[in-house]
Amino acid sequence: MGLPKCMLDIGGTVLLSRLIRDLQPLVGRIHVVVGYREELIVEHCARHHRDVVLVRNPDFRDTNTSHSLMLGSVGFHRKVLYMDGDLVVRPKSLAAFIERGKSTDLLVGVTKAKSTEAVFVEASGDAGTISRVTRFQRHPAAPWEWGNLFIGRPGLLTCGSRYVYECIEPYLPAAAQEVDLFEVDTAEDLALATEGTKAFDRGS
Amino acid sequence: MSTAYCFDLDGTISTLEILPCIAAELGVSDEISSLTRLTMDGHIPFPESLRLRALILGQVAIERVHQTIDMVPLDPHLVSFLSEYTKDCFIITGNLDLWIAPLLDRLGCNWVSSQAIHVEGRLRVEHVLDKSQAIRQIRSAGTHSRIVAVGDGANDIPMFQEADLAVAYGGVHPPAPSAAAAASIIVHDSKTLCTLLKAL
Repeated sequence: MGLPKCMLDIGGTVLLSRLIRDLQPLVGRIHVVVGYREELIVEHCARHHRDVVLVRNPDFRDTNTSHSLMLGSVGFHRKVLYMDGDLVVRPKSLAAFIERGKSTDLLVGVTKAKSTEAVFVEASGDAGTISRVTRFQRHPAAPWEWGNLFIGRPGLLTCGSRYVYECIEPYLPAAAQEVDLFEVDTAEDLALATEGTKAFDRGS
Repeated sequence: MSTAYCFDLDGTISTLEILPCIAAELGVSDEISSLTRLTMDGHIPFPESLRLRALILGQVAIERVHQTIDMVPLDPHLVSFLSEYTKDCFIITGNLDLWIAPLLDRLGCNWVSSQAIHVEGRLRVEHVLDKSQAIRQIRSAGTHSRIVAVGDGANDIPMFQEADLAVAYGGVHPPAPSAAAAASIIVHDSKTLCTLLKAL
């Protein structure tokens, strides 16, 4: 439909606005990296979120997410929460992730495998919880997948054109925590996320 | 790393465009506002636009111009930043020294502007500031290892192109689309801007 995924309406709220609303009480400053249809996001933030910093990636067609996140790191020198803009996250889960991230150098967000194009993780932990990630893998499928968010230092993203999880791989095994989220990559993901949002909005 | 912070004046440090305020003395504020907006958006070249606006507004007595500019509101966060980082701040403005020098002297930081003189009762623009040249001069002075430029209009693009980091500022009005496209960062709030600048 020509919209950046972060501008999709999920349960009556633009996805980006959900993320900003949930992050603002928890972090000092929010940077939004824009590329595809940047003017839509810039206008949206000018209207509704004037205190976010918009970082432009005009080369978005030729670069990957890791490059965008590296650009977005401008002005950050300590640990940063990095996340894709197409995530629908349960607010309490996000807050818990950020809280845990305060005491670890690197914290990898993982979630129960559900998305159509998952990067699965080999993980360890006690009694059904996740505490460490030891490997990323496209195959075979596994119960957990990379959640497309992590907390770490900006220097970790200097790997250039590789995917974000590939930038993290050299630092595995690393601390990990489950985050209750949906990633919106496909139409099927969008349907799942829309249903999931109803539970999140009820405070479940 | 020592950073030079270079700011546009109108619509960045000041929360109103200054020339339309002067134009109110002649009752042509709306017309000058339109001309200013067209210039900011890059539809009229800045040098020609400045000369035309100076031709019109040169009719206002200089003392009255200074009184008017004295009343133009300034962004408190940016004024505080200029006060805290005085020696590292530069105001790079195409506005005329005859008009804005008292304001800029009050702000206390470094500044460079276009220049005009009064000749036979008329205002004559002597030199239209080349903002790219202004940035090159700061760089060649060798006192700062990095230059950050903050502005909102098309005439800030030359400054953006010479700086190490360009910030399109939309705190007063949306930055000109061409200025936003020439910048690495867009910020719509002065408090956020100052926090970012301090963090760089």
